[in-house]
Amino acid sequence: MLLILARRALTAVPILFVVSLMLFVALRVLPVDPAAMSMPPSATLAEIDAMRSQMGLDRPLLEQYGIWLNQAAHGDFGQSLHLRRPVLRLVADTLPATIELAVAAMLVASALGVGGGLALFALRGRRAELAAESATTVLMSVPEFLWALLFIFVFGVLLQALPFTGRLDASLPRPDITGFLLLDAVLVGRVDVLWSALAHLVLPAAALGLAFAPPIVRVLRSSLLDVYHDDYIRQARLRGLSEGRILCRHALKNAALPMLTLMGVQFGFLFGGSLLVEVIYSYPGLGNLMVDAVRNADLPIIQMVGLTYCVLVLAINTLVDGLYVVLNPKLRRR
Amino acid sequence: MRPLRSGRVIAGAVIVAAVLMCALLAPHLAPHDPDDQNLIAQLLPPAWQVGGDADYPLGTDGLGRCVLSRLLFGARVAMEVALIASLGAALVGSLLAYVAGYLGGWADWLIGRAVDVWMSFPPVILSLILMTGLGTGVRNVIFAIVLVDWTRFCRVLRSEVIVVARRDYVSAARLSGFGHWRTVTREVVPATVPLLVTLLSLEMGIAVVVEAVLSFVGLGARADQVAWGQMIADGRQAIYQAPWALFAPVLAIFVTVAGFNLLGDGLRRTLDVRMVEGRE
Repeated sequence: MLLILARRALTAVPILFVVSLMLFVALRVLPVDPAAMSMPPSATLAEIDAMRSQMGLDRPLLEQYGIWLNQAAHGDFGQSLHLRRPVLRLVADTLPATIELAVAAMLVASALGVGGGLALFALRGRRAELAAESATTVLMSVPEFLWALLFIFVFGVLLQALPFTGRLDASLPRPDITGFLLLDAVLVGRVDVLWSALAHLVLPAAALGLAFAPPIVRVLRSSLLDVYHDDYIRQARLRGLSEGRILCRHALKNAALPMLTLMGVQFGFLFGGSLLVEVIYSYPGLGNLMVDAVRNADLPIIQMVGLTYCVLVLAINTLVDGLYVVLNPKLRRR
Repeated sequence: MRPLRSGRVIAGAVIVAAVLMCALLAPHLAPHDPDDQNLIAQLLPPAWQVGGDADYPLGTDGLGRCVLSRLLFGARVAMEVALIASLGAALVGSLLAYVAGYLGGWADWLIGRAVDVWMSFPPVILSLILMTGLGTGVRNVIFAIVLVDWTRFCRVLRSEVIVVARRDYVSAARLSGFGHWRTVTREVVPATVPLLVTLLSLEMGIAVVVEAVLSFVGLGARADQVAWGQMIADGRQAIYQAPWALFAPVLAIFVTVAGFNLLGDGLRRTLDVRMVEGRE
């Protein structure tokens, strides 16, 4: 298990390397001059040129990449041009919020996906199946940012039931221990902070989760349908086991594997979707940092945030592969 | 034709055709110029509500522009991006898939690693980074979608091509003296067309969403072009006073994407091909 995880993690290293090189090159050929951007508008051309050579921008691209890689290896990912703070700090400040949102959304998506998949499977052969199936197709057509806007409108504006900006009520003190707000609230033992943080998390997490649930519904249903053709299900039925027991103890175990693969891919995509939801809910995470950086052409931040998303996706893939081996005995013996 | 008897295919095709007509005929259908500002009639509700004006069937936005006209003109950008970008992505992705699946060996390895690198980015992030570099504008949106989404075609088609290329009739074609080019174009490609058509239809829906997302963040269509994503961003500012100005483009995107998804889903069922599930 550990060996497989380690091997998977090793294959991620070259990918990460290539991605960092591509990001670096892509962002350096932009028609944006980081030197001119980091100077006051009154700077003369000579001053900008001096800044360029100080920043190493006049050297060959590959040499620049080497310098960046060397600094990155020492934990220095550069300074934000706009906010004048170390990029690593900015990312570390916002990453927990995004992870919190993504994990909450994934929980919503999994619960809805598994529940929906089982419900759709229970309807097999009935007349309602066609309607339910078409409903999943229609639900698949609502991307996360439309859910987010819809929820703001219904729960925030019409019902005024839930807050829809930020992570916490402005009047409450923000505990800052790990950056994971829910965890911090528990650590300091403040029920009101925990409650407020949860209320702020409900809408974005539901919007994001709802958008990613329909594919899970479909894959679970179709792999359940596949599994029920197998002999061991008939065998279990002949042994007189109840339908519920067959489903839980026999069918679901096997049908869960394709679903797990999909959920791994979905979780990675979900981080991308969280960007929009963060923007819509003014949620102070990685996505808002990224969008602000794009608007200000703040290259060091774009580069670092892009890399962070990439690391997240690769980490999730590695974990899912490991989990797959744990859950699938066929792969374990090799 | 079996697909034509499927309810989903018909429903999807009707919706897509209707949106396409709206886009093509926008200058004739729209009651106003989409950029005309009527500053006396800001934030009007739809015509059927109290205070509505029959002149503005879906009301006006914060600058007094006709929501219906903007909606119709927005369909042009959406359909342009959907059709061209998905065809481009299909072209690039399927070409690489045929090369990788048919030739195998180092070509397959190289293309497979490229897909790995691409897949390690969430698509939204990748297109955002690309748009930073390319700058705004519909043409760049199309370019970015092609550069991001070719992997969707390549991944799924490649495994199909591998299966097809091992079939007996492909070997028979090779044995009877067909060259590689002729074998691929005459024997392999026709067998994968159903899958390609299905993927194409689903990709068009994705392209509509991506365009809306990019325009919403301000990185899509230029400010002088009317796009649904921009209308959403504008409508969000006035969510309390004029919710319909936000609702109209949201509904338009939903209906269009649902049309493409129904069409793709129906085609997938009727053409009976294996399909990998997944979305952005």
